[in-house]
Amino acid sequence: MKVRAQSLGGYPRPRSVRRLLRQSERGEVDPEYRVRLLASASSAVIGAQIAAGFDVVVDGMLDWHDIFRPFASAWRNVTPTALLRYFDNNFFYRIPLFTAEPEPVEPVLAPRVRLYAPLAEPAGLKVVVPGPVTFTLMSEVIGGLRRDELAEAIARLLADEVRAAVEAGASFVQVDEPILGDPEVGRDEASLAADLASRIAGAAGEAETMLAVYFYPPKREVYEEVLKAKVDYVMIDAVDGGGKGATLVAEAGGGRKGVALGVIDARSIYMDRYEGVKSLVEAALEGLREKESLILTTSTWLDLIPYSYSIKKTRLLGLYAERIAGDLGLEYTGGWR
Amino acid sequence: MAGYQVPRKFPTTVVGSYPKMPPAEEALKKRRQGIVGEEEFHRLARDAIRMVVEDYLWAGVDIISDGEQTREDMVVYFAERLEGYSIGDWVRVFDNVYFRKPVVTGKVEWRQPMIIDDWEYARSISQGRPVKVILTGPYTMLEWSFDLHYGDRRELIFDLARAIRREIEEAIARGAEYIQVDEPALSTRPFREEAELLKEALEIVFKGVQAKRIVHICFGRLERILPYILDYPVDQFDLEMKNSNFRLLPYLKEYGYDKELGFGVVDVHSFQVETVDEIREAIDRLMKADIIGPEKVYVDPDCGLKRLPREIAREKLRNMVEAARIAREEW
Repeated sequence: MKVRAQSLGGYPRPRSVRRLLRQSERGEVDPEYRVRLLASASSAVIGAQIAAGFDVVVDGMLDWHDIFRPFASAWRNVTPTALLRYFDNNFFYRIPLFTAEPEPVEPVLAPRVRLYAPLAEPAGLKVVVPGPVTFTLMSEVIGGLRRDELAEAIARLLADEVRAAVEAGASFVQVDEPILGDPEVGRDEASLAADLASRIAGAAGEAETMLAVYFYPPKREVYEEVLKAKVDYVMIDAVDGGGKGATLVAEAGGGRKGVALGVIDARSIYMDRYEGVKSLVEAALEGLREKESLILTTSTWLDLIPYSYSIKKTRLLGLYAERIAGDLGLEYTGGWR
Repeated sequence: MAGYQVPRKFPTTVVGSYPKMPPAEEALKKRRQGIVGEEEFHRLARDAIRMVVEDYLWAGVDIISDGEQTREDMVVYFAERLEGYSIGDWVRVFDNVYFRKPVVTGKVEWRQPMIIDDWEYARSISQGRPVKVILTGPYTMLEWSFDLHYGDRRELIFDLARAIRREIEEAIARGAEYIQVDEPALSTRPFREEAELLKEALEIVFKGVQAKRIVHICFGRLERILPYILDYPVDQFDLEMKNSNFRLLPYLKEYGYDKELGFGVVDVHSFQVETVDEIREAIDRLMKADIIGPEKVYVDPDCGLKRLPREIAREKLRNMVEAARIAREEW
């Protein structure tokens, strides 16, 4: 079985970016300088991942205020509004308010990929989009649009985004559906999420694809629906919920190519102990077949901890993945294409 | 409290925080830069507290607060003043706004009074209106800090509870009548085991306390854990209601709720000022649900008002007070 490691999503902002965005809000920043500084800060984040042996990296999404915002800002008929808590974090997102079916005004992902894919060499660049079901359920909708119609419309736009991103050079596409870890979410929502993620993944061409569920492991019935998604990997948070995620994988298996297991606690600055991480992997392995692949990743995005710790955890993930492969007799494929 | 009679029905109150006034911003800045020490910091903030209290009095709120003017953040403020905490690095709260998420690096213990000075000052200018003593609760302190020392949530939360209780004892000794513990983190993890953990901690916090004991919880899916919190050792639950369109009311009815209720009727996430009629209808809705009598209902905003512009906060409070006055005549 092959093992590799990658970060799940966004990184926290270093001081230079915090200052840049503050100045930017006051209209004090030249747009070209903004692009240059963001590219330089993102290069550092990308470099940390490459140094950790990741063959696929993220640009860190340092300028995204929340996972919905770039899209809610780039589409017509949707506006970011009041703040609401983002799951169980002391972090708030702006509720997207949809007044009609969204329409694209400008692309979100492709320009980033054109900028950051060359910086990621020799690794591939991953793009991340919010899952349509999470996006819909965490938005407000007025004007008579039904939520299922909205989810379908969002999926269409995201599929277009992904198609353009892959054409621009993205090699990995991740669809995030954290709401599927919510205990109140049932089979129907999960089925819709899997269906819509399949459609988005269908636009990814040769790129690898993943459907990610985090903040809490989903219920068994939800996970079974998630596994029906036509994606290469299904990602499960193995940290929150006391290892239930690993048990779920052991009992119900993984995606078409395998599983991504969130084993490094992305919400704590405590340096995860090797034995604990290894035992999560061992538990999950019981449900995976030899030909499947395992991606070790963070339990969620790393942007909920301070910047310095996000870099330390990135390094830890790379180190542990290689060591676990050695200890468990797996093939470590870290390094670069 | 001598000189002011809190209405028997539908007294109005606040959850605690209020928009930061310029003198408070200035005081916080000076403290951050190390220009002033703790005593001078609180003295500098008094102008801000006075402005907040004046707004409350103008609006006619019955039971007020100091507006939490000296608190840069509800967790950081206490972490900076408790033994065992280190000040952490910046973590984002929303957009490009951050807080320094504290880190537990040693045994947590009470060191010296933390909020008493501001509370006593507010009380001295409140024209007899009671001022709530408001503290961040042990569960929220636990959840919104990083822990590098305990590695055991139970041990940490119980030490936090003991430290908070010590502060409450200080306040009680000085005549506090209303003690409110804020636990916004609970509804973000609405699981039975979490609710039970907080119950144990609150037993430490409130055991034998001779004052009105209040726990404030807001947002999230509280209905999931309602059965497990109703026997908390408190007199009053102060709950956000307006933002969630009063979704909790049927659950309160179903579970036979009979404690006092801090009834959130003002949405602190919206800049739109609720009309008097709108708030009065919310109170009517509660009364028609036939859960508790009007003498057990405290009318207040969903949560702290700190994120609103001052003018909007004032208007919201004034309409709330007027709606409660009308409701007193009707119920």
